[in-house]
Amino acid sequence: MDFFLKDIEHGEPINWDFLVNDINNSLTYNRYCKSGNYYHVFKHIITSLIIGEEIILLDSDFTDFELVNLTGYSEYEEFTQIIDKGSFPFVCDKVELIDKLRNTCNEWKVTLFTSGTTGIPKKVTHNFKSITRFVKISEQNKNSIWGFAFNPTHMAGIQVFFQALLNGNTIVRLFGLAPNSIYSEIKGNDITHISATPTFYRLLLSCNDTFKKVERITSGGEKFNEKTIMQLKGIFPNAKITNVYASTEAGTLFASDNDIFSIKREYEHLIRVTNDELLIHSSLMGNSETNFEEWYNTCDLIETITEKPLKFRFISRKSDMINVGGYKVNPLEVEETILTLQGIKNVRVYSKSNSVLGNIICCEVVCENEQISESSIRTFLQSKIQEFKIPRIIRFVDELSTTRTGKIKRN
Amino acid sequence: MKVKILEIINTVLDNRKNKKLTALTPEMHLRNDIGFDSLDLAELTVRIEAEYDIDIFEDGIVNTVSEIFEKLNGK
Repeated sequence: MDFFLKDIEHGEPINWDFLVNDINNSLTYNRYCKSGNYYHVFKHIITSLIIGEEIILLDSDFTDFELVNLTGYSEYEEFTQIIDKGSFPFVCDKVELIDKLRNTCNEWKVTLFTSGTTGIPKKVTHNFKSITRFVKISEQNKNSIWGFAFNPTHMAGIQVFFQALLNGNTIVRLFGLAPNSIYSEIKGNDITHISATPTFYRLLLSCNDTFKKVERITSGGEKFNEKTIMQLKGIFPNAKITNVYASTEAGTLFASDNDIFSIKREYEHLIRVTNDELLIHSSLMGNSETNFEEWYNTCDLIETITEKPLKFRFISRKSDMINVGGYKVNPLEVEETILTLQGIKNVRVYSKSNSVLGNIICCEVVCENEQISESSIRTFLQSKIQEFKIPRIIRFVDELSTTRTGKIKRN
Repeated sequence: MKVKILEIINTVLDNRKNKKLTALTPEMHLRNDIGFDSLDLAELTVRIEAEYDIDIFEDGIVNTVSEIFEKLNGK
C-alpha cells in the first residue's frame, strides 16, 4: 500500500488514492488553516496548491487573543469559498497530483507566523519557489519514509512536508508522541529520514533498541555535544547525522556534516559576511511585514574558515530570542503580555540553560500589591500565549536586576 | 526527600492545571504515569536543581521516580 500519511493520533493511515479522491471531492476552501489534525493541515495545503490560492497557517494552539492580534479575527468561517470545479479538472492519480504540485503557479503563497524580533510574532509569506528552494527531488529520494517531528504549521515542518510531498514519500507523524510510541513508529514503518530539534533527539536517548533503517538524521537550532552524537550513533547506527542552519524567516539555509558550513555555489552571491556577522540576501527571506533592506543581518556571529569558497562556523547567535526545545520565544512578547495583567509593575523575562530543552523561560516580576500570585499570572497567560512561551519559573522581586548599562539582564 | 520530590512534582503538575498526586511510588514513569511532557520535565530539573544542586538530566534521560532518587543519592 502506498501511504501518504500515518498518524497514530488520528485514526487509520491515509493512502495516496484516498488523498487524491479527497482533494477531487473538496468543494470549499478557506485560506485560513487552523487544525491540530495533521491530515487536515496537509490536505488544506495541497488544495491551496492545486487551486493556486494563498494559505495562511495558524498554530492549532494559538489563543483567541493571539489570533486577533495576528490576523484581526478569531473565527474564520466567513472566509470559506466555493471551489470552481470547472477550472480545476479532476486529478487521476498520485503521479498526476505530484506533477501538478511540482508545477504550482506563481500566484500561490503561504503565510505563516514566526517568532518576531519585536513584540508579537510576525507574518512571513513565501511563494512556491522560495519555500521549495531547498527541496531535493530525485530518484534516490523516491522511496524515503519521513518521520515527521515538527509542528506542521512552522517553517521547519513545512519544509519537511514539501520535501516528502514532492518526492511522493510517506510521512509518519512522530511529533508530540511519547518516546515508546516514537520508537515503535520508527521501527514499524521503516522510517529512513528524520528531521527534528535536538530536544526531540535527546528524549530518545534512553532507548535500548537500534534503528538500522534510518539513513539520515537532521538537526538544527541548538548544537549537539559530542556525547549526544555518540549516543545517537548507537541508536541510529547507519544514519548520517547532518546539522542545519535555519532562520525562522528563510527556513533551512545551510547543511553540514560537522560544525563547519559551506554554501552551494549557486547561493554564494546571496550570502555576505560583514564584521563577522552573517548577512543573507532579501530574496531568500520571503515577504515579511518588516521591510528588509536588500541584505538582512541575521545577527549571528560567525568565524570564517576560508573565504573562497566560503566556509564558516557559527560562534553565537546574537539575537534576544530564546530557543526552548527548538521553539523560538521572544522575551519581549512575553514581557508585554505579562505587563497587561493588572497589578504588575514590571517584569523581566530571561532564559536559564536547561538539560532537557536547551533553555527554559523564567521571569522576575515586580508587583504593585500582594494580590498577584504565581498561579494568577499563569492562568492569565494560558489564555493569552502559547504554552511553550509561558515562564516555568516565576520569581517575585522588589526590583529587577539590570546590567551595568541599565539594560534588563536576559541571561 | 520523597516528600520533597512529591511536592516538587505536584508544583509542576499544578502549574499546568493538572491533577496533583496523592502519593509517589518509585516505579512511576514520569511521562507515561505522571503525564509529564518535555516542558514539564525541564521545569522539574530546574526545581530539583534549586533544591538539591543536582541536574538530574545532565548526563542522560531520567524516566522513573526511582531514577530521580538514584541521581540525588549520587549512585
